[in-house]
Amino acid sequence: MNRVRLLAISGARHIPDSSLLLGRVKRFLWAAILAASPPISATGQGHEGHMMVHAEQPGEAAVWRMPPMDMSMPMLPGLESALPPVGPFLPGAGVDVSEIPEARPGEQVQLDDGDTLNVVVSLVRRHIAGHHMVMYGYNGQYPGPLIKANRGSTVYVNVENRIVLPTTVHWHGIRLDNAFDGVPGVTQAPINTGEAFLYEIKVRDSGIYWYHPHMREDIQQDLGLYGNLLVADPDPNHYGPANREEVLILDDLLVDAAGPLPWGDEAPTHALMGRFGNVMLVNGMTDFGIEVDRGEIVRYYVTNVANTRTFNLTFRNARAKIVASDVSRFEKEQWVSNIPIAPAERYVVDVIYDEPGEYATTNSVQAINHFRGTFYSSVDTLWTVNVSAEPAAASYRETFDVLRSFDEVTADIGTFADHFQRPPDHTLELTVKVEDLPLPIVLAMEIDTLYVPPMEWNDAMPMMNWLSTGKQVTWILRDTDTGKENGEIGWSFEQGDVAKIRIFNNPRSFHPMHHPIHIHGQRYLVLSIDGVATKNRVWKDTAIVPVGSTVDLLVDMSNPGEWMLHCHIAEHLHSGMMFGFTVRPGELDGDQASFWN
Amino acid sequence: MVDPDPPAYYRIPLVPTGRVPGTARTVAFGDVLFASSPFGVAVTADGNYSYELQLTVERSGYKGPGHFVGWLATSDLKQVKWLGPLGDDNSLSSTVEWNKFLVIVTLEESDQPANRWQGPVVFRGLSRSGLMHTMAGHGPFSREPCATFGY
Repeated sequence: MNRVRLLAISGARHIPDSSLLLGRVKRFLWAAILAASPPISATGQGHEGHMMVHAEQPGEAAVWRMPPMDMSMPMLPGLESALPPVGPFLPGAGVDVSEIPEARPGEQVQLDDGDTLNVVVSLVRRHIAGHHMVMYGYNGQYPGPLIKANRGSTVYVNVENRIVLPTTVHWHGIRLDNAFDGVPGVTQAPINTGEAFLYEIKVRDSGIYWYHPHMREDIQQDLGLYGNLLVADPDPNHYGPANREEVLILDDLLVDAAGPLPWGDEAPTHALMGRFGNVMLVNGMTDFGIEVDRGEIVRYYVTNVANTRTFNLTFRNARAKIVASDVSRFEKEQWVSNIPIAPAERYVVDVIYDEPGEYATTNSVQAINHFRGTFYSSVDTLWTVNVSAEPAAASYRETFDVLRSFDEVTADIGTFADHFQRPPDHTLELTVKVEDLPLPIVLAMEIDTLYVPPMEWNDAMPMMNWLSTGKQVTWILRDTDTGKENGEIGWSFEQGDVAKIRIFNNPRSFHPMHHPIHIHGQRYLVLSIDGVATKNRVWKDTAIVPVGSTVDLLVDMSNPGEWMLHCHIAEHLHSGMMFGFTVRPGELDGDQASFWN
Repeated sequence: MVDPDPPAYYRIPLVPTGRVPGTARTVAFGDVLFASSPFGVAVTADGNYSYELQLTVERSGYKGPGHFVGWLATSDLKQVKWLGPLGDDNSLSSTVEWNKFLVIVTLEESDQPANRWQGPVVFRGLSRSGLMHTMAGHGPFSREPCATFGY
């Protein structure tokens, strides 16, 4: 637990913007900045200090380049030469690129009970959006191997680290034994270069899960270290019939003309909003597509592994129904036109393609231009489906047209009903502190936060965001009962407890933002949002808390050990937004006891 | 500090115009909540937020003929949506699928659907996103002329 506490930056000071004296000081400083600054124009920009023309070659040492942005937006005066106060990092510096293997598409691996998969973490060469770049890969693949296992089995994965950064693997959403949760300093020591760690993974729940590093995932995950674990249910009717299944991983990558933007070495850049990419990836590709026959039902298992981007996945002109999410099926299937999916969330969705032609699945959002103060439509095609005129070999249309109810899910959730209405056991407030941010950013934020949107769908302030690092920004989970923050919070439960946790995302903080809250090793229900009960429940391990909202979670504290609760925006996690809690072993009743044996 | 009144995501104050007798001191507001959704946040296929809006008029002193009718409009008034007449309890529930919108209550002779209001505006309010404004001409961008950016 010490490691967790160390990761939280202590001593950060909130900037008291209500202080009259400080306001005078700010105005004086601001007048000085303006007087010293040349006139700014939308076309002049004044980015002399930002190395925008520097073209690195793969393997070269990194230098800072400012992120790509809308150049019609005027530069904040005073930031013309500003750089993040951390060093730049790119993988593979000093390595002969010709000796790095070309990555290959991810492969499927079926693991039966007792089987072991060897996974090597290494440098790979990738070709994305016209750029050759050095990235990371699990077994040289993008994404990492799709591991298939049967519910109730125990599989083993031996992870060997051949990159310079220490790493671990977290098995996201799996209610496995605590020793294999992959949290450095809590459940294991980091896997240093040349070392290996054997993970024992008992898969107790069917569904779609994923794995990723739990050390500097803002770097390692962004560079390609992620993969899925698909757990099959023994019931062949667990899901309805489908013609095919596609396991898709959504991601984005921030690149400019010279390749990927460097990451911060000792702390993340983009600490305010997280690192949005400008290239969309599906299974590591920019042009993912499939071909199906008319009337086919495609079951998608979708995982969002982006550092910060929440996608609004839109199935244009195709009928879709949501079936399952992180740790279970929904109580009942439901027609949907789109799926907002935050980092680390998963959804299982069945889609029917009735007519021949090309179908685009898009990320369709109303982005914000903070400078102009406007919303605008932003649409990116994520993948395409070409539907032939040939009818599908097997038609499941009649089954698809019926929305199934999953009584066993409702019954399971119903056993927790006594807890739905009672007061919360703990209340968390989500907020942020900053110190030593450049003054122009502080001043701009004061104006910008006159209105705070529930969600940030795009990086509307790429320059300010880039310059904010984990050294200046501390994202905070505050226990409102004790006043303790992040690593100081020491919740303790007994196995079998049911904990009601209320989370309030304070819209009056310096820079409010939504947070996808992840709880390790357990499952939870989203009981209500802003006091309104959710209607079609599903067991989750990650869920969005919008800005200004109050979300009640009901956590089934069934898995003993030392676990984490954190924001799954990678830059927020590494800017302090996490804490550990304990679930002590306890007495379980018959069904529970057999489940955990 | 936990929000002491969590049921509403936020509340839009509806300000009287004073054009209708007996309404100048009336309290009116719109409570905004996310619409029901299987996801953590309710958005439409094109990315607009999907809200439930509950209009309430309290202590109205108006005793004359006609109906208080609720409307939504985009801030440029190019799109207008009829919500319907307020009920006997002087409230009305509806959905909103715009990110920035005006809430308007008018006094109408008819309680039937219409494309535009005919009667006087009694109350009006603005979604919280209406506070979003260009930075041109303000704070760090005080040297930027608004006109350059179309304002």
